Amino acid sequence: MPLLKIDDKEIQVQSGATVLETAEANGIEIPHYCYHPALEVVGSCRMCLVQVEGMPKLQVSCNTFVGDVHPDRKVDGKYDMVVHTQNDLVVQERKNILEFLLLNHPLDCPVCDQAGECYLQDYSFKFGNAHSRFEENKRVRSNEYLGSQIVINHNRCILCSRCVRFTQEISGTSELFVEARGYNTKVAALEEKPLDNLLAGNVADICPVGALLSTDYIHKNRIWNLKKQSSVCQDCSVGCNVDVFSQTNQIFRLTPRENHDVNGYFMCDIGRYGFHRFEEIERVTQPMIREGDSFVSFEWEEAIQETVDRLKRAGGKVAGVTSPYHTNETNFMLGLMVDGILGNLSQIDGEEINYPSGFRISSDRSPNRNGMNDVCPGNVDDLISDIDEQNIRTIYILDDGVDRDFDEVWKSILSKMDFVVVQTYRMTMLAQSANIILPGLAPFEREGTITNDGGRVQWLRPSLPIKGESRADWEILMMALKALDNNAQIFTDVSQVMKKMGEKIPAYKDVSFFNLGDKGLSLNGIASK
Amino acid sequence: MATIIKSYEPTFWDKLYIPALVKGLMVTIKHFFRRKVTIQYPDEYHIPPEGYRGLHRLNKFPEGRIKCVACEMCSAACPADCIHIIPGPSPWDEGNERYPVRFDIDLLRCIFCGFCEMACPEEAIELTEIYDFSDYTREDLIIDKDGLLEVFELTKDQKYYSRKNDSQEPQK
Repeated sequence: MPLLKIDDKEIQVQSGATVLETAEANGIEIPHYCYHPALEVVGSCRMCLVQVEGMPKLQVSCNTFVGDVHPDRKVDGKYDMVVHTQNDLVVQERKNILEFLLLNHPLDCPVCDQAGECYLQDYSFKFGNAHSRFEENKRVRSNEYLGSQIVINHNRCILCSRCVRFTQEISGTSELFVEARGYNTKVAALEEKPLDNLLAGNVADICPVGALLSTDYIHKNRIWNLKKQSSVCQDCSVGCNVDVFSQTNQIFRLTPRENHDVNGYFMCDIGRYGFHRFEEIERVTQPMIREGDSFVSFEWEEAIQETVDRLKRAGGKVAGVTSPYHTNETNFMLGLMVDGILGNLSQIDGEEINYPSGFRISSDRSPNRNGMNDVCPGNVDDLISDIDEQNIRTIYILDDGVDRDFDEVWKSILSKMDFVVVQTYRMTMLAQSANIILPGLAPFEREGTITNDGGRVQWLRPSLPIKGESRADWEILMMALKALDNNAQIFTDVSQVMKKMGEKIPAYKDVSFFNLGDKGLSLNGIASK
Repeated sequence: MATIIKSYEPTFWDKLYIPALVKGLMVTIKHFFRRKVTIQYPDEYHIPPEGYRGLHRLNKFPEGRIKCVACEMCSAACPADCIHIIPGPSPWDEGNERYPVRFDIDLLRCIFCGFCEMACPEEAIELTEIYDFSDYTREDLIIDKDGLLEVFELTKDQKYYSRKNDSQEPQK
């Protein structure tokens, strides 16, 4: 293994590792723009230049590999390579490169949406000059739409070509290219093929400056006003790791979070803009009991008491319906309440999309079908036969707020029921046929675990405050359980439900917030790095 | 170590008390001939010195476009957290593409430190000389964008109070 010396640090590295990767892994900062770990190295921005002893010129560290050298040629008799990242030559070179990059940059940080998370801003502040010597007029170009969701500000672009490489390597659609040469160079989209693929939103994320912007977030807010919460995307069963940016009770944007076991560095636009669906829905925020054709609001205690009275009258003959949209904990609690007579709501299917990079959008657009089958298995066919055999007249449904067209099977199930309890956050078709509606939480308010289609349990964290009188779904079920049976266990937190779930279901015995962390836990027993 | 303080023994001259009386009266007489500093406030307005930090305003370009680009530097710098901005794409074709859709300042929270005008990269927000903006309700003391632009119209010649004084009826 070659021995590398960066500044004063001696590092044993794998042969073939690059200087930039090694430095980053060891906490040495080398500024860079065009290098992105998921993309091909081009070395075009020249920001990561370092001095390597024995080489006549400064080298781009993203494309300089460390290898074993002949023992006679080792520096100081032991180092295979000696790199300086902080000496005067490198510092001066960074100043020069930044001066070049800023020649035509408009420095309109007050208007720019990238301000606050902009690498040009950060590096100029840290490594650049305070003044520009450029006295000529700056090149000014107007904004252009590259696709329906992406707008490019050519003035701010530093031509690192990350976006171009993204469309070539990750999405494989090659809509973007670098047009013209020299002073006229710019990033452009093909006229007949605008940037409208389902991964287009990522180019705004990987842009190190404010050149590529998502029209969804442009001029909406400033990055330092937003609260960042790491969570999991709930729009398909892949379960991409995301950061949710919100302010008070509004979500402003979602960005992908790095997790090599799930989504790599990216996410799709279905999940990215999916949060808008929940913005203007008609929420159910009060427990409601049907009286005639209308619903009347009640207090929680009364609604729970009414529910429990009816469940007791049914004498244990209660059917439960789980949902592939709810967390494992909620589904598990329903399993505790009903005695094995379980069905589930259907998943929503979409188109399965695979990208050449391995990125995948699953055809199963419900986030937790796997977890639901693990903690609370059931299917509709069994439910129908159970209902007929045991003459069941009461049903408890965990509704997930998704509009489904009910087929004959579901219509016949509902028609057989005398009493329907629906736990939901909005008035769906199902909720309208209910006798009691108990208000649960909407997707971005929930906390718990969901299991993706690869068998990885991930921590879903809430990013919005609870609205109105709504309560956590597992908590509603716990209140009902407690009212049914006075000896039932009280859970004060979702982590206690998780512990109980681990006791009952062996596969989930290691699942706890501590073990899950940001990257989740594979159920095969292999914790992620 | 104890310090012995001897009390002052008044002399005969002191005991007459008349010289002290005259000395005190001299101060009164001296001020009698000086220029008056008292202002008959509602009839006459005090003109604050240059650099006085009073009510805020939002500046406009001569062609009427608002200078503010809603960068929220002022609200970030504000120690009292009294500036609330909602940005949006600007309706004008020329100039910056961003402008404040809403710009509210809670004057009851504001401590008039002037950090906002120091933080402003566009010289859009400024503190003016206006000091008499009291009102009856808390809601009326939250000034919005239109109010701030109105203040600009009132104070752009920097002579708000001298104009007011000129327009006052001379008192009898």
